Amino acid sequence: MKLKQLISALALAGTVTAVAAAPQVGAPAPDFTVIDSHGQTHSLADFAGKNVILEWTNHDCPFVVKHYVSDNMQGLQQHFTEEETVWLTVISSKPGSQGHVSPEQANELTASRSANPSAVLLDEAGTMGRAYDARVTPHMYVIGGDGNLLYMGGIDSIPTANPEDIPKADAYLANAGNEVLAGQPVSNPVTRPYGCSIKY
Amino acid sequence: MVFHCIFLVQKRALLCNRIYHLTIQLIFYKSGRSQVVSLDPPPMAWRTLDQCINNYLAIMKLRHYLCAWLLLLLTVPAHAVTTGFKQAPHIQVELVSQYQSVSPGQSFLVALHLLPQEHWHTYWLNPGDSGMPTSIQWQLPDGVEVSGIQWPTPEAFSIPPLMNYGFEGSTVLLSEVQVPADYSGTSLLLKANASWLVCEEICIPGDMTLELPLAVARQAVPSEPFQALIAQGKASQPVSLQRTASYQVQDGVFSAVIESKDDLLVDAFFVAATDLVEHARAQEISWQDGSLLLRQPQNTYFHQAPDQIEMVLISGSQSFVVQAQRMDAGSAATVTAEFGLGAFMLALLLAAGGGLILNLMPCVFPVLSLKAISLANNSGDSARQKRDAWSYTLGVLAMFALLALVLIGLRAAGAAVGWGFQLQNPWLVGGLAYLFFALGLSLSGLVQFGSRLMQLGSGLGQQQGAKGSFFTGVLAVIVASPCTAPFMGAALGYAVTQSAPVALLVFLALGFGMALPFLLLAYSRRMARLLPKPGAWMDTLKQWLAYPLYLTTVWLLWVLGRQAGVDAQALVLVGLVCLAAALWLFGRHQLGLGFRLAPQLSWALALLALLLLVVLQPQQGSQSSSTQAHWEPWSPARLAELTTEQQPVLVNMTADWCITCLVNERVALNTDSSRQALQDYGVTYLKGDWTLRDADISIYLQSYQRDGVPLYVLYWPGKEPLVLPQILTPNTLRDQLAQLAATSSDG
Repeated sequence: MKLKQLISALALAGTVTAVAAAPQVGAPAPDFTVIDSHGQTHSLADFAGKNVILEWTNHDCPFVVKHYVSDNMQGLQQHFTEEETVWLTVISSKPGSQGHVSPEQANELTASRSANPSAVLLDEAGTMGRAYDARVTPHMYVIGGDGNLLYMGGIDSIPTANPEDIPKADAYLANAGNEVLAGQPVSNPVTRPYGCSIKY
Repeated sequence: MVFHCIFLVQKRALLCNRIYHLTIQLIFYKSGRSQVVSLDPPPMAWRTLDQCINNYLAIMKLRHYLCAWLLLLLTVPAHAVTTGFKQAPHIQVELVSQYQSVSPGQSFLVALHLLPQEHWHTYWLNPGDSGMPTSIQWQLPDGVEVSGIQWPTPEAFSIPPLMNYGFEGSTVLLSEVQVPADYSGTSLLLKANASWLVCEEICIPGDMTLELPLAVARQAVPSEPFQALIAQGKASQPVSLQRTASYQVQDGVFSAVIESKDDLLVDAFFVAATDLVEHARAQEISWQDGSLLLRQPQNTYFHQAPDQIEMVLISGSQSFVVQAQRMDAGSAATVTAEFGLGAFMLALLLAAGGGLILNLMPCVFPVLSLKAISLANNSGDSARQKRDAWSYTLGVLAMFALLALVLIGLRAAGAAVGWGFQLQNPWLVGGLAYLFFALGLSLSGLVQFGSRLMQLGSGLGQQQGAKGSFFTGVLAVIVASPCTAPFMGAALGYAVTQSAPVALLVFLALGFGMALPFLLLAYSRRMARLLPKPGAWMDTLKQWLAYPLYLTTVWLLWVLGRQAGVDAQALVLVGLVCLAAALWLFGRHQLGLGFRLAPQLSWALALLALLLLVVLQPQQGSQSSSTQAHWEPWSPARLAELTTEQQPVLVNMTADWCITCLVNERVALNTDSSRQALQDYGVTYLKGDWTLRDADISIYLQSYQRDGVPLYVLYWPGKEPLVLPQILTPNTLRDQLAQLAATSSDG
């Protein structure tokens, strides 16, 4: 039974992922056109010349909760938006699944958690998520002003849901974002993302 | 609330009228969700068994509401064998011991038993694309040790586009606890902090501290009711397979090769490292010539390939686990070993020590003694003695510096052609076997090497003056060389992996160690008296030292046998016999024995030995000759010629150390179907071998934006060159050719 499940899973996975190819660090980041929680449409081209950070989220995922109850995520959002970096929080959960929210709920979550993203993008069709091959929440990307992808991967190095681990971890995203701001090459441009699966 | 319960009570308890220490766990079924309520002390525990049974029968009447399992159990109050199930969101957790009382010095199993709700799962060591492995932090009394989790064989959970690995249903995670022999306590508290992630579509993290006190007694007592659970835990683990296995992550592909003579049928595999394979992508499994070949695309987030990984292989209802070693791509990577100051100082010290020991070698010792005697004779002039000693030291150091520079030069030249001073070349290995065997025979006394040089050295050593001393040093190194090979070998082994200055310093330390006794003699008279007298013991020591050399020869022959096959090995063995005969004849000639033509015959035999080595045909070579009809060597000129002639061409760039390349060739290129396809479409198959980093091939690879192999390019007249994927399937070539032929005939 185990085997049959595996084989069918593999067969299925083969057909699905044959289409989706992961974006490459150093190459142009995939474009997107997505509506935010205020009804405004955003494309990557709108942010030309600015650094962009993408954060995939699902407010009920314990790995996301870890970074919000500890104020780690809000702190990163504030730091980078103050440094003229665009921070886009992306929700790719399909309607009816965990993490899916209405625009009002999204704004409420931003307010109640004192979050500071530039915009919350509602990608309920999962188009943007698939284009970026986003796998988990939180999955993080940094895009340079020239539109090239400079970082993709985890928010930090310890893949647990325990907020106490945050200070002990290597802050991959923060380091990558700061290196981009300083005009330096990113020292760890690809790290393993961890968290809950995105509910496509 | 209506519920329905079953009591499973040990036989012993059934015989009693009263149930005293009964802990009952009832499972209430309500709206399909289970919940354990622990009643301790349960109200029913004080009833008689009859009452309990009556109660049970009454409840049975209400059976159409719900059904239930479960259990159990009755124990000694102070020490338990299970913590009992504790409820956490969507999962129940218990800690169970294999023994209810354990004895000092014993090792036993402890199970973390996870029972997730139906359709929920926890995660394996490698959780896949998301998730988190279950972990246990133990707090144990001093001296008590515990192993890591012995993971059961995982299941694959596909959540497109992701893949996870984990466990559904009753999951038993065993760890082995070792009680020290001098454990003095009367009880042993197992305290485990377990944390997990339990998921269906959504995920809930959980953690719990479980405490299980066990009795410690002289006689260990197994916990009978849980033997089945422990057995379940053991049975769910993969069986360890002792197989040679290696893996590689290269050019976007994870490949593993597992020696498998018995055609183990593998349906799927799991890699116990998070970022090696792209978990959701299709796996390719094939068997060829006694090896199992496993491939899967490389993980997008691949970061580092560990030295060793664990792989679980699924074969029908069975599963196996093997350890695979990382195979390095090319030799260049192994040459640049890490430089550590500690290792460097140690190497210098060892080299100096080795140099000191060189003085005891029969080739060197006579020189040393002569010098010592001459020093003792010149008792008056201590300033001159010191000057002589330093001159000698300088001579030795100069010679070692020269040796080091030759070595560094050779290495630089070798690196330029991609030869990393490794025993990859069967001719080199055979040559080394000859060398070590000959040196061994020389130490055994069959023949004297360098005796003329030694005499010369002694002659110069008797000369007076700084110049004489300097050359004594130089010659001492030369005459010592037959005896020093084993010591030099170790220093050489370290030095070739290091930078040039480090290698030079190591050799200088060796030289300094060799010259040290002379310096000491010059500065201290007493030392001269402490020197042992030359004598028969030196010869005995020399003869003993032959045996390590013979063993080295055996090892080299083994390496050769592995590389080039048993035929080549036999050839080299015949060569060794010729060499032995040659040296024997030469040795007799040295002693003035033997017939007139003995030296000539001796040379002839030595030449024959070398000739045998030269004609050596490694098995790989003979294999390639059998496929000669199928491909020809690639060269830029040949490719240009064929393309200008409007011929279809297949170019395959490969290397012996590239597993992916070899797998592709076995699976997709050297098959009958592909040979036929090449023939049908009139394709010339050109193969370029990049094993030694051919410069022309490097340029060709760069023209396709590649910096590594494999690369497959199909040239079809009138079309752009087509680059084939790095993983070839048996049909890739035929399909591509059919497509090219069809489109070109359309146009």
